[in-house]
Amino acid sequence: MSTASSGFKLSEWIFTTDHKRIGILYLIGSIAAFAVAGIMALLIRIEQMSPGATIVSDVYTGGEQYNVWLYFHGAAMILGFLIPGLTGFAANYLIPLMIGAKDVAFPRINALSVWLFWAGIVLALLTFVVPDKPDVMWTGYPPYSIKTGGNLALYVFTVHLIGFSSILASVNFLVTIIYMRAPGMGWMQLNMFIWGCFTALIIQLVFVPVLAAAVTLLLFDRYLGTHFYDPANGGDVLLYQNLFWFYSHPAVYVIFLPAMGIFYEIYATMAKNRIFNYKAAVYGMIGIVLVSGEVWVHHLYYSGMPDWIRIGQMVTTLLISVPVGLMTISLFGTLYRGAITFNIPMYYGVAALYLLLIGGLTGIPLAMTVMSVHLGETSFVHAHFHFIMGIFAAFSVFAAVDFWFPKISGRMLHEGRAKIGFWLNFIGVNVTFWPLFIIGVDGMPRRYWDYSQFPAYFGNYHKVATIGAFIVATGMIITISNWLLSAVSGAKASNNPWGSKSLEWTHTETPPGPGNFPQDVVLDGNWSPYNYSK
Amino acid sequence: MANSASGHGHVHHWETSVAPLLIVGGVLFLVVFGFIGWFSYNSAMLAIVSAGIGTPLLLAGIAKWTGEALTHKPLVEGLSPIALPIFIVSEVFIFLSLFAAYWTMRLSAGPDWPPAGTPTNMNLRLPIIMTVILVASSLTYHVAEVKLEHNDRGGFITWVLISVVLGAVFLACTVYEYSHLMHMKFSPSTNAYSSIFYSITGFHASHVLVGLGAFLTVMLAAVKGLTNQYLAFCVGLYWHFVDIVWFFVASQVYYW
Ligand code: HEM
Ligand SMILES: [Cu+2]
Repeated sequence: MSTASSGFKLSEWIFTTDHKRIGILYLIGSIAAFAVAGIMALLIRIEQMSPGATIVSDVYTGGEQYNVWLYFHGAAMILGFLIPGLTGFAANYLIPLMIGAKDVAFPRINALSVWLFWAGIVLALLTFVVPDKPDVMWTGYPPYSIKTGGNLALYVFTVHLIGFSSILASVNFLVTIIYMRAPGMGWMQLNMFIWGCFTALIIQLVFVPVLAAAVTLLLFDRYLGTHFYDPANGGDVLLYQNLFWFYSHPAVYVIFLPAMGIFYEIYATMAKNRIFNYKAAVYGMIGIVLVSGEVWVHHLYYSGMPDWIRIGQMVTTLLISVPVGLMTISLFGTLYRGAITFNIPMYYGVAALYLLLIGGLTGIPLAMTVMSVHLGETSFVHAHFHFIMGIFAAFSVFAAVDFWFPKISGRMLHEGRAKIGFWLNFIGVNVTFWPLFIIGVDGMPRRYWDYSQFPAYFGNYHKVATIGAFIVATGMIITISNWLLSAVSGAKASNNPWGSKSLEWTHTETPPGPGNFPQDVVLDGNWSPYNYSK
Repeated sequence: MANSASGHGHVHHWETSVAPLLIVGGVLFLVVFGFIGWFSYNSAMLAIVSAGIGTPLLLAGIAKWTGEALTHKPLVEGLSPIALPIFIVSEVFIFLSLFAAYWTMRLSAGPDWPPAGTPTNMNLRLPIIMTVILVASSLTYHVAEVKLEHNDRGGFITWVLISVVLGAVFLACTVYEYSHLMHMKFSPSTNAYSSIFYSITGFHASHVLVGLGAFLTVMLAAVKGLTNQYLAFCVGLYWHFVDIVWFFVASQVYYW
């Protein structure tokens, strides 16, 4: 561990500017957000077990209680768990290590980012303290968000803090990737995870400000009496929806791209193989950046607009399948003729391919206006984005923790317990979301706690889905406690237990000390993180 | 503290800095809890206490940060002049969103613009004066930068001071204009135009304020004998950006 000061010092953690420690602070925050948001999910699922009121107190306030759960679940899962888990934890821990840098370009700004994120988590958690709990979903649509008695300011400032944190992180990492690569490391020699982050961060830089502006105007409308979203006084409600989705569709790629990057790393390392069609996959990622800002209207198909816009956006949305397809083929092809080690990161990796397939294919009917007008706002959408975004990306975070566990903690993860956790998670997810696809096609709306006016058999499907949610909860308890247990009592890990060719394994101690690399990293044109054939 | 690189550029201890945490604490109390106390809970008490906690934290954080930035060598030098333009891209998108809101309202209103409640005798001469002031301040800051290049620290300080004064006059004009308009019962809640008028000009003015803070920071540092060409460059770049945005603000919001 070089001459690093040993032992745990609290001040060295909370004042740290080291990217690895900041990454771990991000991980702790995002797992905390995940856990609380997960509890909300269980409450939501329990409520839906029966058509009328199950655990909400009564029909008059039930909707508000339910909306608070939905608000916290959605906002915390996306803003508190997935985005910080990927562009916070994974990006922080891995980017400097993978490019051979001692740290990021601006370590203090990096510390500022992580604490802004934590401040956002604190604000989100205040939901459970204040009397006027926010109940505006993760979308915050007016006019409801302006008229509700719930505390809109908490929602808006949570978005601001985490958003500002993301913007600063984007600037920081983009500069780091462009200017701090080890001498000799060319663009086409980068790890796929670096490409995933690089493209995701460009999207984040450009689109997060739009969300920040959208919610700021919401704040003004509510507290200063402005009229941006107030049609009675010359404003426009759809303005909000357009600004919101102009950010929030691209936001799915902010999650999707680094998540794919993680799976590429795992696939290549565990199959001891090159990335199949590396360049095509990279161009796919760049393609996503280019198209990401042109498709948001597919979230508004039923909001009233000329048909030519609908059709145009349908075409661009379907076009997204091309880069996504390129990336998927390249992921799958990486296994071709590989010498595959089938361990726990690979379990998640293979499951991800399945999730991608189901989630991607169900996106196609949703992209087609005719189908979407029927399926939109049903639990079919709900299942679609949980497959492709929620679970796919969550699995990428779990896989990342499992895969880099030896490097981060210096110990091996207990595989047996991890596998029990995996199977419960995987089975639970399917048990939860397949029923929602089915009743979604039959017309079960999203976001309803009381569905007694719908066919009675919906209740049975909901019950199955609830059982699924509890299976996942069990799986997650096992998964998380296994991380904690293994971190203190796992077997000691060597520097490169997977025999990877990537810098974070080949050139560092375990765990890496301050400054990352005992020797400065210098590479030549033949070096590649996937150079397994030589 | 964040001093890097002993020996051959290798770091042997965990780097720390208290500044970021202080700043986040400051922002959380001053801006967030201050706002929520005042607006959500109508409690002046809560707002004042929050601001009272937040302000010293924020100022201490900024002072600490600037001190470290000016005295410690970063891993790779000269990256801030590259980072700032990247950051400005995201600023551009915030302004674009606000303009998008404006254009949406403006175009959907058609001929009924400006909406009822807008004073017919808006002062359209003041924005021209403000434009001249802001452009002048960009030029004076440029002179300051030239002085710095010639190692004329006294000249640098003088010309930054002149820029600060010009920026302050610009803000004073804004305050004057706002109070005048409020007096004519044209407030943010009057109509769609007033909403956008105050939001865009106010958001721009907040940038001017940040720019003034940055001017004061480089100036005070220079008084203490600390100058950094990259920092000076960044401050200038930010100011020119604020200046350019003003052309859009003025032309769109006042004259269209
Ligand atoms: C082939 C690619 C994809 C297509 C064609 C597609 C299509 C769509 C469409 C059209 C909708 C709107 C459905 C409606 O409300 O009627 C939708 C919703 C959604 N999609 Fe996808 N999608 C794709 C990939 C993704 C990816 C990669 C993610 C995330 C990583 C994602 C996350 C979401 C989310 C979160 C929503 C719902 C948002 C909400 O209403 O709250 N999608 N998708
Ligand atoms: Cu979308």
